[in-house]
Parts: sequence; structure tokens; C-alpha cells
Amino acid sequence: MAEAEVFPPPLILPLGDRSLLVRFGNTLSDEANRAAIAFGRRLDERLPDGVSEIDPNLVSVLLKYDPERTDFERLAGEVRLLISAPTAIDDVAATTHRIAVRFGGDDGPDLEAAAAVLNMTPDAFVATHNASVLRVLTIGFAPGFAYCGFHPEAFRLPRRTEVRPPMPPGSVLFAAGQTAITSTSIPTGWHVIGRTDFRNFDSAADPPTTLREGDRVIFETVAQ
Amino acid sequence: MTALIRIIRAGPMATIQDAGRFGALHHGISASGPMDRGAFERAGGPLANAGAEGIEFTQAGLAFTVAEGHFRARGEGGEFSLSVNGSPRDWPADLGLGAGDTIDITPGPSGNYGYLRFDHAIDVPAVIGSRATNLVAGLGGLDGRALRRGDELTLVPVESDVVVGEMIATHLPADDGPIRFTWGLHADLFAPAARQAFLGANFVVSTRLDRMGVRLDDPSGVFAGAPILSLVSDAIVPGDIQILGDGTPIVLMRDHQPTGGYPRIATVISADLDRFAQMRPGTALAFAPVGLHKARALFLASR
Repeated sequence: MAEAEVFPPPLILPLGDRSLLVRFGNTLSDEANRAAIAFGRRLDERLPDGVSEIDPNLVSVLLKYDPERTDFERLAGEVRLLISAPTAIDDVAATTHRIAVRFGGDDGPDLEAAAAVLNMTPDAFVATHNASVLRVLTIGFAPGFAYCGFHPEAFRLPRRTEVRPPMPPGSVLFAAGQTAITSTSIPTGWHVIGRTDFRNFDSAADPPTTLREGDRVIFETVAQ
Repeated sequence: MTALIRIIRAGPMATIQDAGRFGALHHGISASGPMDRGAFERAGGPLANAGAEGIEFTQAGLAFTVAEGHFRARGEGGEFSLSVNGSPRDWPADLGLGAGDTIDITPGPSGNYGYLRFDHAIDVPAVIGSRATNLVAGLGGLDGRALRRGDELTLVPVESDVVVGEMIATHLPADDGPIRFTWGLHADLFAPAARQAFLGANFVVSTRLDRMGVRLDDPSGVFAGAPILSLVSDAIVPGDIQILGDGTPIVLMRDHQPTGGYPRIATVISADLDRFAQMRPGTALAFAPVGLHKARALFLASR
């Protein structure tokens, strides 16, 4: 088992009168995300009394609780105890997924522009993009929407200044050191670089999402 | 015995709801459920064998005919005018309805949302454990969408051994007074002067409201020129008051996105969110802070 890393203690915050948020950082960092994933997995093993649902986010874990069964102070105490026990955050069980993507063209209208900003050819952009094994940072924002990261510092772009009208499900998005996969039609300010037939959301399936935070993702190119 | 109703008129936000789709946040899906939970529960509570679902309708009202069968229905929430076959009936409503009846609901003097519950279940498929409609995600209810003219809903008897739990809200929310809140996730990122101004200001419910959120007009400009912050996207809960980049405050409601990156100064307490949801466009309101203990006590007292 990997030796536990030491983190600054997370903030334990109320979010309204029925939720508690454990936040591992104020900015999106690799370590804050890994800490949130590991803490979410620990909670999955046993939910504290009165907690009805947990939701790991990019750098935090939300705990929804029933005020008839517990209160914030009591739950915060239990959370502090859980946090004080060491967690091996590299020991999170992870499945590896290979996602086949059609890059560029009508499927990825922003590929050329994104590559140009990075002084790369589209082919070099795709090669660099696919070279990293990414981690599913979280599922959120929209049904099945998967945030995957992180790309190397030299391979990062901010979001576009303009939001595109709704793009089809399976759009592969690139911004802020991450690649995201949509599963529903949503507007986006990310660079749309490709499309996949993979859908991380099926309302009839149980569970309805395939990717889980902490899983590994490898992107591959489909010949067009 | 099953029954069938046929929709004659429905507004663009008339939906099938149940208590909500809980437990799906980690799939990127918020809980939805009734905008006025208390009214939804009051509608179902007195019914023997109430179905877990109901119809939520808006100022656009609702009209339907009973094509087959007979059932009891109860209407609650806001103040609406209701007639059966052209004869006015009381609101809140307690109705025995049968084949051939036509029900017409139109807006009354106050409120945005009304509910009809039945002593039958509404026969639509459960999606991820719930029949609540999430209009943003296009899930649940009838094909994930609002009801419209021509829709037919089958009502099926509720098995007598089915326990419909926790459907006993008896306390009506207070009629007036400020909307109470607890300080929000990002309150510390607002300047002290802005926080102070937030407490003293009057806001007005704008015409831009839906199941996702209610935008407020800010006539005194509390949040005008607030710095645009770049925040890591984080969890949202119903009642969160977020400030958009142009300074517009928006109170996030039942169909909220599960996460968001705009700063949130406050969260409306659970006990006041129903009352807020029923405030019509043009209603002036002020906000008042309470502590977590008080918020919890008010919530428990409202049950």
C-alpha cells in the first residue's frame, strides 16, 4: 500500500442547512482532486449517520444530510475524525477506459484553432492529447458530463470567450488542462476538438454512468 | 380501477413531479421535485392511498378532461381558481372526479405554483428511481418534458400496502417577512460593504424565472460592478444565491445544475424556499441572515 500523502486539513463548510461540504482546495489542483476522490471512496464504505447522499466534486465532497437525524456540528465532528485517519490516495481502485474519438472536421470544429494557439499542427495536437493517461476528476454539471485531467502545463488553453450553442452528445472538449466528454446536448465555452460514440449516460442503465471519478481514461483516434 | 385524463391546456412548465430524484448528484443530475414542497405534501397528505406523483402547474394554469374511470384529487399551492364542468370550486380543492368531467384551473391572486395529487399513481416510467421531471436534463415525467395539449395520463390505483412516507407537512409557511438565509459558500469573497448592502437592500423577483432559477432585479445595485471571480466549479444546493458575471443575483431552484462556478453569497433556508418559490414577478423582498441552528429549528418546525 502506498504511503499516505499529507495534505493541509480541508475546510468543512455548511452549504445551506442540509448539506456539508468538505473542500480540499480553493483552486483545481491534482492533489486536491485526488484527496476529494479518496475521501469520497472512504465515505462510500460507510456513510456517517444521517447522511443521505454524497457527491464528490472537482476539489470537494458534498454530504447531504437529514436535519431530523443529525446536525452540522455533529456531522462535522464525524468528518474530522474520518479525515484524521490516514488515506492512501493513490490506492483508489480505478478502471481504465479507452475512448475512441473522431478529432477535427465537423466533429471537432475548434481543433485547428486550438492547435494553432499552441503552435502545433492538428496532428501533433492530437498526438500530444492522446499521449497522457488522464484521470476522471469528477462527473457533474450535466448528466454524465466527465471532467478528465490533467494535461501537461505546456499543453493547456483557457476556455473560449464565446459560448457555442448546444453541441451534440459525445462532444470531446478541451480547456484548462482538461478534456471533458459530454453525454447530453449542452452549450459549451470549451474548445470542441472531437466527438466520440461513447456515452457516459444511459438513464435506463444501473448505474446510469460508466465512468467513475478516479478511473483512468485513454483517448484514441478513430480514422475518419 | 385505472383512469385516464387528457390534457386540454398546460403551460410550458407544467410537469409531473414526485418528491424528487435523490442520490443522482454524482451522475450529474439534481433532484428536481416540487418547487413548493410543502404544498405538494399538503395536497397528498389527506388522501387515502395517495400516489407519489402529482402535477405541478404554473400561472398558465391547467385544464383536462377525465376520459375514463374515477378518482379523488386534491389541489394545493398558491391561490388558483378551479372549476369542474364550469362550476367554481374552492381552492385548496378536494374533488371526486369521473369520466366526462372537465377541470379548468386558472391563476388567482397569488402564487406561482399549484399541485394536483390523486389517490392514484401517474403511470409514467421511473427514471433513475424517480418520476420527477427534470426539464433541464430532459428526464423523468412524461418523456422528460412539460405536459401539453393532447397528452394522456393513465392513473393507476395505489396498492393499499404501499406506504407513502413523510407526506405530512401541515404548517403553512409564514406569509411575509424577509427571506431568511445562511451565509453562502463564497460569502467571504464578497467585500464587507457588499455583504452589508445585501442585508439592507430590497430586491424584486424578475420575470426571468423557471424551475432552474429565479433571477432578481437589484434596483439599488448591490452587486453592480462586483469583481468577476474565477472559481473552481463546486456543488450547488437549492436556495443558493449566486451572482452572475453581470451582477445579476439568481436564486437556484429545484432543477439547478449540480455544480457551478459563480460566487454564491448566501443560501435561502429550507423553511423559506417554498415561500420564495411562490413569489410572483414584481414582488419586492429583503433577505435576513440566520444561523445554522435557527435554520435547522425552523426546518424541523415546518415538518
